[in-house]
Amino acid sequence: MSREQIEHTIIRVLRIVGILFFVLMVAFPFYWMIASSLRPLEEILMNPANLGLDFRKIDLSAYYNVLFDHGFVRYILNSLYVSIITVALSVALATVGGYAVTRLRFRGQSFMSYSILIIYMFPAIVLVIPLYVIFSHMGLRDSVNVLILVYLAQTLPVALYMLRSYFKTLPLEIENAGLIDGCTRFGVIWRIIIPLSAPALASVGLYTFMIAWNEFLFAFMFLDTPDKFTLSRGVVQLAGSVHLSKQLVMAASVLVTLPILFLFLFFERYLARGMTSGAMKG
Amino acid sequence: MASLTLKDVGKKFGKTAALSGVDLHVEDGEFCVLLGPSGCGKSTLLNVIAGLVPQDKGIIELDGHSIDRLAPRDRDVAMVFQSYALYPHMTVAKNLGFGLRMRGVPKATIRKKVLDTASLLGIDGLLNRKPRELSGGQRQRVAMGRALTRRPKLFLLDEPLSNLDARLRSNVRLELKQLHTRLKTTIVYVTHDQVEAMTLGEKVVVMRDGEVRQTGRPETIYSFPADTFVATFIGSPEMNLYRGMILHNGEHPVFQGRGFHMDMGDLQLNPVDGEVDLGFRPEDVKIVEAGAETLPVKVEMISDVGSEKYIHTQIGREHLTLRAPKDASFRPGEIINLTIDLTRLHIFKGGVRMD
Repeated sequence: MSREQIEHTIIRVLRIVGILFFVLMVAFPFYWMIASSLRPLEEILMNPANLGLDFRKIDLSAYYNVLFDHGFVRYILNSLYVSIITVALSVALATVGGYAVTRLRFRGQSFMSYSILIIYMFPAIVLVIPLYVIFSHMGLRDSVNVLILVYLAQTLPVALYMLRSYFKTLPLEIENAGLIDGCTRFGVIWRIIIPLSAPALASVGLYTFMIAWNEFLFAFMFLDTPDKFTLSRGVVQLAGSVHLSKQLVMAASVLVTLPILFLFLFFERYLARGMTSGAMKG
Repeated sequence: MASLTLKDVGKKFGKTAALSGVDLHVEDGEFCVLLGPSGCGKSTLLNVIAGLVPQDKGIIELDGHSIDRLAPRDRDVAMVFQSYALYPHMTVAKNLGFGLRMRGVPKATIRKKVLDTASLLGIDGLLNRKPRELSGGQRQRVAMGRALTRRPKLFLLDEPLSNLDARLRSNVRLELKQLHTRLKTTIVYVTHDQVEAMTLGEKVVVMRDGEVRQTGRPETIYSFPADTFVATFIGSPEMNLYRGMILHNGEHPVFQGRGFHMDMGDLQLNPVDGEVDLGFRPEDVKIVEAGAETLPVKVEMISDVGSEKYIHTQIGREHLTLRAPKDASFRPGEIINLTIDLTRLHIFKGGVRMD
């Protein structure tokens, strides 16, 4: 074999090994979670180390149990409510805010533009105690709407930052064309900027949704009434309960994970770039 | 259609003056070209007229009414951008009709006007395509069509041809000229290309450093440049221009340049103190048989552009370029004799034309 062939072979082998390693890292726990949630309880107890899944013995009772006996329908609705409102507000505010710091000239514009991310330098754990105290005093603590506020504060900096970077790549001349053709500033944002930013808006929406859907710390601290629990809070509640059943916890975990997975698969095609090609010369 | 008047328009970006004291009048239906090197303020001026950039001072009037306080959408102008700036998420038809749609024109009317414009520009076959599916030339047409569909009072074109390849550019230039003759619209056209300016413009405005240096018909600007900048900026190869003194010692005035002198014949010249710039265009020099009043020079280099030849020589310590017919057969090193058409001399004092 020539030196070149040897190099190619080594690279190919390394690539396969690398991919396999990461796939196993990610896919195995996921597989294990799904498999455990579908196996009948007796089988888990009898043979806990068995990794196989017998398709003839698939048992969906754990899901039924979790959804209807342990209040997960409620938790899903709560999580959906919190996540969707957070996404809507975050995308809307980040769009106008990102546009403002990119295109409009005002006092403190560049400071605003660059200080957006500073808020992200504070870890959530530093903020959670003071916020707990403040919200307790204000009587706002045990409420999903407060969670929305906190999630917004958490996601907006990154959302603004992402959209700002994207807006900067949009050609100014298209906006000027819109202004001359009869749009107001908001008209330009609505009819030109937003359609052209669909990929960026989809990423921001997805990012925000994942944060809001998965968030645990604030939900754990702020929510006391089981009726107001979000999914992640509900899973922990379930895992901590006396009659711990691994099967139920796994089913609950699947319920947390699947929506994100489908959302990602669905939005993935919108994340592709290249929407503006053709506007300009060349 | 409308006339456009600018009075003392000024604009500063930070401390640099992008425009200072610009006065301009464009007649109803006139094709006005703003010409200048990059950074001379011509595009800024266009943006100021469109209302995209607010001016610091001065007045802009359309048909005698000030439009200074109007937003771009209320000025009834249309603009064609250098990069075309088509809306990439809309079809050609939507692009063409966008301005009308924003103005609440009924759908049927929009459809009709879009079709009219499309057939005028020969893009009726492309109406359902997206901009990314078009070639450069087609995009350029759509950009022009978008401005045309609305029939605004004033068209602003910002280097609309500069992204086309050379052949397409000269074709579109001709079409643009014909279109203007047909529609008789008021146009302000920005370019740095003097050929475009000379062929398209009924009025050419030469700008530099934010100031208007000369305004006039193309032939006036070519034949009577107002200053040395306009003289050298217009015309290719550029005008031969020499610094020197005019001496009135003998019976004829004589120009004393660096390392050469030139008898100015019967030219009636008022005495000038100090240095002047003397210029003549490459085509105003003729190659002749040797004689008493001819200027012998040595051929240094020949550029053959096909239709003619440019001969580069040395006069004293200065460079001289002249035009020769395409069949001229000289070789570098050869001595040729020149006469200069004295009636076509340009004399500048302190950079400004003297008459």
